[in-house]
Amino acid sequence: MWWKNEEDLVESMTGTWRWASGLAVLAGLGVLAAFWMIFFYVPTEASMGVVQRIFYVHVPAAWVAFMAFGIVALCSIGYLWLRDERLDAISVSAAELGVVFTTIVLVTGPLWGKLAWGAWWVWEPRLTLTLLLWFIYIGYFVLRGATDNPERGKRFAAVLGVVGAVDIPLIHVSVNWFRSQHPQAVVLRPEGPTAGPEIVITLLVSLLAFTLTFFALLLLRYGLEKLRCNAEALRFAAESTRHATPVGGGVG
Amino acid sequence: MRDYLGHVWAVAAKDLALEMRSRERLVGMGTFAVLVAVVWSFSLDPAVRPRSVAGAMIWVTIFFAGMLGLGRSFALEREQEALTGVLLAPVDRGAIFLGKFLANLLILLAVEALIFPVYGLFFGIGLGGSLGGVALVVGLASVGFVALGTLFGAVAAHTRLGETLLPILLLPLLIPVVIFGVSATQRLLIGRPVAEVMGSVRMLAAFDLIYLFVCTLAFGSVVEE
Repeated sequence: MWWKNEEDLVESMTGTWRWASGLAVLAGLGVLAAFWMIFFYVPTEASMGVVQRIFYVHVPAAWVAFMAFGIVALCSIGYLWLRDERLDAISVSAAELGVVFTTIVLVTGPLWGKLAWGAWWVWEPRLTLTLLLWFIYIGYFVLRGATDNPERGKRFAAVLGVVGAVDIPLIHVSVNWFRSQHPQAVVLRPEGPTAGPEIVITLLVSLLAFTLTFFALLLLRYGLEKLRCNAEALRFAAESTRHATPVGGGVG
Repeated sequence: MRDYLGHVWAVAAKDLALEMRSRERLVGMGTFAVLVAVVWSFSLDPAVRPRSVAGAMIWVTIFFAGMLGLGRSFALEREQEALTGVLLAPVDRGAIFLGKFLANLLILLAVEALIFPVYGLFFGIGLGGSLGGVALVVGLASVGFVALGTLFGAVAAHTRLGETLLPILLLPLLIPVVIFGVSATQRLLIGRPVAEVMGSVRMLAAFDLIYLFVCTLAFGSVVEE
């Protein structure tokens, strides 16, 4: 258990909720600002037209999805080393959000691609990498769900997190080996951005809003995981008392 | 070091002796591989020249047949808790992993040695005059495949889903091996010189070392009880 007694749990939960609600308010404001900028502030891009606005959702979602995988990897290594339940709780929360944001990337990408490339899907390095990342996340949850012993499930998931973290760069290298068709970076370039200042500002606001949203959700999910583990521990304790009591001496 | 290699070989010899007596994996994987070749022959359009898709056909067969055998590797150890006995031996966990890996690799190589002549016979796919090159590429790609497969075979065997889980975990992680292994094999089979695939060979060798290292380390966390 990562808490000593009920009071300790209540205290730490209050702290988690306070931080989570603060972050959630900030994230909500950030998302409102980002959406206002995407629809009213930023000018329509000349060559691609209005469909280019999807870029301000697609790129931040991708950034958050890969950051989530980084968090899963670090917490998995930490869990295998220290066996701290909190690290596993962060890991599973980040992985769940990783699935959500990777799904956003995989949905917005083809919507844009259909108009820009004329095809929903092309086997292009960054698309392939994101799709495989999504499958690794799915495997992570199937694996956790398929183990009867919760401790073993955590351990196996952490092993997948570590091996996945090592493999993602290798997948990146191999899929890049094929010729890239994806638009090249227009903001993060060594020579400075080639995109106009409004585009850069909108993207940065959107990135900030997505990052805040991610951390707010991460904290909320982390608190939920803590409550879930507590509920499981209570149920386990109740069941073992019932089994330990002789017939007739019901505890209720 | 010498002791360590001795331990690796002891675990591998145990698995190979078991396989030599029952032959269940060799027979199962071999029959499956030949049947996949039959399925290919009926699913390819007559206009497609088998030579131009040989690398893909052969590797799909190797991966599927291989996963069949890898799933068995630890399912066998789970019967009557045989793995507990192996783990009780005063041997490093890494050595146990490498022993299982070596036995799985040798069994897969034996099946591959059957797959190539069968495809040669059924589809007229020659080795393009470079037996050494094909053997090198297939061997290196198999090392990476079996390293990941042995680790996740151990993981899958301890879950409720068992061998069903193995492909879900293994295939996404295996893409680097698929990309370099298949493309290099295809080029050699259509008769390109070995020098042309040396880049892929180097990449495969580097991936193999990384996978072996990571999987050997991670195995300890998988089997601890």
